[in-house]
Amino acid sequence: MEGSSSEEGEDVNWTFYRDREEWADLKPVPQDDGPHPVVAIAYSEKFRDVFDYFRGVLKVHELSERALDLTRDAVELNPGNYTVWQYRRQILKHLDKDLKEEMAFVAEMISAFPKNYQVWHHRQVLVSWLNDASDELQLTAKMLALDAKNYHAWQHRQWAIRTFNLFQNELEFIEKLLNDDIRNNSAWNQRYFVINQTTEFAPEVIEKEIAYVLSKIKIATKNESSWNYLRGIVLHSESGLRKPSVIDFCDELYNSGNRSACLLSYLVDAALEQAEYGVVKENSLLSIDKALELCDNLANEFDVCRRGYWNYISGCLRVHMN
Amino acid sequence: MPPDYAIVPLARKRHIKYLRYYLELLPARMSIYDSIRVSIAFFAISGLDVLNAIDTLDESKKKNICDWLYSLQVLPNGSGDCSSCGFQGSCTLVAPDLNYQEHISEYACGHLAMTYTALACLIILGDDLNRVDRTAVMMGVKSLQEQDGSFRSTKAGSENDMRFVYCASCICFMLKDWSGMDVDKTIDYIVKSMSYDFGFGQGPYLESHGGSTFCAVASLNLMGKLHDTFNSKQLAGLKRWAIMRQESGFQGRPNKEVDTCYSFWVGSTLKMLDMLKAVNFEENRNFVMSTQDAVVGGFAKFINTVPDPLHTYLGLSGLSLMGEEGLLSIHPALNITERAYSHLQSIHETWSDPAS
Repeated sequence: MEGSSSEEGEDVNWTFYRDREEWADLKPVPQDDGPHPVVAIAYSEKFRDVFDYFRGVLKVHELSERALDLTRDAVELNPGNYTVWQYRRQILKHLDKDLKEEMAFVAEMISAFPKNYQVWHHRQVLVSWLNDASDELQLTAKMLALDAKNYHAWQHRQWAIRTFNLFQNELEFIEKLLNDDIRNNSAWNQRYFVINQTTEFAPEVIEKEIAYVLSKIKIATKNESSWNYLRGIVLHSESGLRKPSVIDFCDELYNSGNRSACLLSYLVDAALEQAEYGVVKENSLLSIDKALELCDNLANEFDVCRRGYWNYISGCLRVHMN
Repeated sequence: MPPDYAIVPLARKRHIKYLRYYLELLPARMSIYDSIRVSIAFFAISGLDVLNAIDTLDESKKKNICDWLYSLQVLPNGSGDCSSCGFQGSCTLVAPDLNYQEHISEYACGHLAMTYTALACLIILGDDLNRVDRTAVMMGVKSLQEQDGSFRSTKAGSENDMRFVYCASCICFMLKDWSGMDVDKTIDYIVKSMSYDFGFGQGPYLESHGGSTFCAVASLNLMGKLHDTFNSKQLAGLKRWAIMRQESGFQGRPNKEVDTCYSFWVGSTLKMLDMLKAVNFEENRNFVMSTQDAVVGGFAKFINTVPDPLHTYLGLSGLSLMGEEGLLSIHPALNITERAYSHLQSIHETWSDPAS
């Protein structure tokens, strides 16, 4: 704990703002924590100095080059300070700065703080101002290469794709990620997003997507992400979970001895759907009795952690027993 | 052999000490929390309450904390504009010298997460909310709603997503006044954020996530709309998505590692959906206790990592949901104890009319 607080002290080239001649004209404004501060922080001298001068420039509303530099020091000390970012944007606008430079800076900040909300928001504002998202796919791809499930990166990527219509090569990108990690739920979600926003779920698209996801399920039958994707796709088909080609696939997998909890739970839900909405194609795997047996298997053998849930689902199934 | 966490006791005294420490003075490395000090205070204060230890803070301490929170309330400016109103998260822009500057209200603004957690702290500490300018707070909330029904956190530049939908819902509920929200629009945003797997993302098209699912479900719960917004198939799918997050403890998304905080985010979601009965409490406890630091106090995200206030609080509140002995029970949507919620109800009884 003590070790890391000395990091700032190691910066031997650092000059406090209070010691800088070019800042001598500006009066720093100290923070007022009141008589009984709560969750007080023992700020380093550098932190205190930078933010005293930040309050100083804010007070006189100085929108200058040196104030811009100051905000950079401030966000580097606390990238979560949204006020400093907002003030920085004010200065950028006022000075009519070259935003390409700022784009490079925020890219650096994103690399340093990939899960910070403010850096990504700043990026989004800049892209909107520039009305140019030509670097966004590359930037987010780079961040996803480091953490393929970084929610911020996906959120930014979707925003850029939707706002600037950058769908063109997205399926290829996703394909690559799924080849790296078939369990990457974010990539599956992105696939759904792209289909939903481009071709939509026309019958031939549904067939194509089902074929695609079944081929992936074959590789990893216990992968919840691909099963969820399958469930999402068949939602758009009239026969839902009971879609004959999918049930045939499940039948084959089941009869080969596979007892993945994902497979069994798909069959249970399909049986429940059949009980509620009728038979699409006869299959003994979708009878209530079979589903009750599967729930039992799940509760006692293949998904023991969720025993309570499978007992609850058994109860739902029993409603349809007569 | 790894320790048997089933028999590990909750290190109650250590957690009290740990949380009290966070209310005092933090080391410089904690400067990254500087803009959200109120939320740290919330984790500590509500955590003490869950531990049934709120009275380890004496009356003068409680009063000092309330005074500090009120010092962060942004009141209407001279022109009566309330768009900056609410609570700030820290003292960064509190200085006598700054008060008289007109342009400061563009920067010294309330923040929905800080307003929600400040109100929660005040309620937990037994304050009567008399010093809250309810009308101004509501107008501040209202000014942050976007066209799509979502909320951004603050006037001073912010993203908009489900987190702030939740914070806005809590504020409206706590102040017993929904005039700050176009509820239909908000519900529309929530409905559009339901994913193909029936969980909720931070917004439309985004991946389902334990945190945003909690925010969506709790918001609807506070509005009293959880059960008429979705059909039975959607509700069954949502229940399924949530229960599937249990591996031992809970994960936030499919194929991600389990993490202490989701015991609360997902556990509470399941409670609101009346599905807590399906949760395996023992497995969850084993995992959460493996992240406990019994020496320093606190809970961490994962085993063998350093505890932090957020995971400590959510670890405790998750355990409370699942019947841990010695912990006060939690109001699942507001994320404060039922004891604190009773106090809120007694405050509401003294308000004959909504603030509007």
